[in-house]
Amino acid sequence: MTGPRLLRLYAAGRRVPLALLSTAVCATGLRIALLRHWDAYGALQLPLIFEAAAAVSVTATAASPFGEPERVAGRLLPYLRAAVTVALTAAAVGLLTAAGTGGHLSGGTLDVLRNVAGITGIGLLCAAVLGGGLSWTGPTGYLVAAVYALYTQWHPPVLATPWLWPARPPHDLGGALCAGLLFGCGLAAVTVRGARDRIGDPAAA
Amino acid sequence: MNIEIDGLTRCFGSVEAVAGVDLKAGPGVFGLLGPNGAGKTSLLRMMATAVPPSSGRLRLLGRDPGGYGPRREIRRRLGYLPQNPGHYPGFTVAEYVEYVALLKEVPPARIRAAVATAIERVELGDRRKSRMRTLSGGMLRRAGIAQAIVNEPELLLLDEPTAGLDPEQRVAFRTLLRDLGQRATVVVSTHLVEDVAAACAQVALMDRGRIVFHGTPDGLAARGAGQHAGDTPIERGYSAVLAQARS
Repeated sequence: MTGPRLLRLYAAGRRVPLALLSTAVCATGLRIALLRHWDAYGALQLPLIFEAAAAVSVTATAASPFGEPERVAGRLLPYLRAAVTVALTAAAVGLLTAAGTGGHLSGGTLDVLRNVAGITGIGLLCAAVLGGGLSWTGPTGYLVAAVYALYTQWHPPVLATPWLWPARPPHDLGGALCAGLLFGCGLAAVTVRGARDRIGDPAAA
Repeated sequence: MNIEIDGLTRCFGSVEAVAGVDLKAGPGVFGLLGPNGAGKTSLLRMMATAVPPSSGRLRLLGRDPGGYGPRREIRRRLGYLPQNPGHYPGFTVAEYVEYVALLKEVPPARIRAAVATAIERVELGDRRKSRMRTLSGGMLRRAGIAQAIVNEPELLLLDEPTAGLDPEQRVAFRTLLRDLGQRATVVVSTHLVEDVAAACAQVALMDRGRIVFHGTPDGLAARGAGQHAGDTPIERGYSAVLAQARS
């Protein structure tokens, strides 16, 4: 029973229940928002805001309160980091998709999956480089850029780079690859190194 | 020898925090003294495998921590208390220590007893179910020591372990150190020379990234003959060696 016990303590220390709760709040917010009728802007931009917020909730769990004693405690930590991050990302996608079921969720499940995974990847990279406390900065900046990219759909010149995937159709391969690449890089960085403890702290082993 | 260090350096940008240290230590309590910025913490962090050296040779418990496999094995047998250990405020003391025991892969059948023993040894038995957020600074320090010793480490690295402890706790801690030093190599980095005099068999004094004295506490005290800076012989020796190194 040591495996589940370790997982439970790890999850508690990383405030995973709080992350799940805030993701559920995001899903509820999305559901309530979808009850209204939105113009084309709102229909595209509102889900993206809730998706980014859910992604921030996931990336916040990368921060460790334990510091170096945990980092040098053994070989199990990377597995815990990867498992919890993937599980939380899947939960966020599932909750947001469920919230959109039966509503007018622009882009559908594919859009949610791509947006949440990609923005989570950005947040994880920020956690690895800047620290867990600043993991929200990347997703927030990306959200601003993505909302602008959506705006240019009606006000050319259109921003059409696949790196701004929320402005691309849900089945667009380039956008999916970019989002997947960022998620993979962010997950790898946080799995191997963990979130940086604080600015100025040398890289973890 | 549990610690073998040859020409070890560590640079942070243009700052050379550890500038060519040679050191060997077997079982026993080893004191690491020095003023602020001497490089004690950087040296300890390298020994804890928390940061890699910039250059030089480091062997811990007969293994090279540069390789993944040996580093993993060293970490399993290592105990480490940094200057500012973090904690999750919602954990109880027992959960905090158990979490580290699980990470260090203490055998499942031994975990409960290992956690209880570690907590008892730092005299927190009556607070084992208290939340970390309710503990005083000294109690948090003792909880940090408990997590460092829960796996009965062969190499124990303690950075300023007595900071925040009251005199009674410090005396108890020195007794614990001497006990741990019977089986393991215990490296204690501290500003408090009286802790070194009371508990350490060997001492190294660092200044500006280098070891400027290596010997016994009595040997360090003897270097202070005729000096007036300091209240105790070892403090006078500490001041004399530093003054000589800087002249």
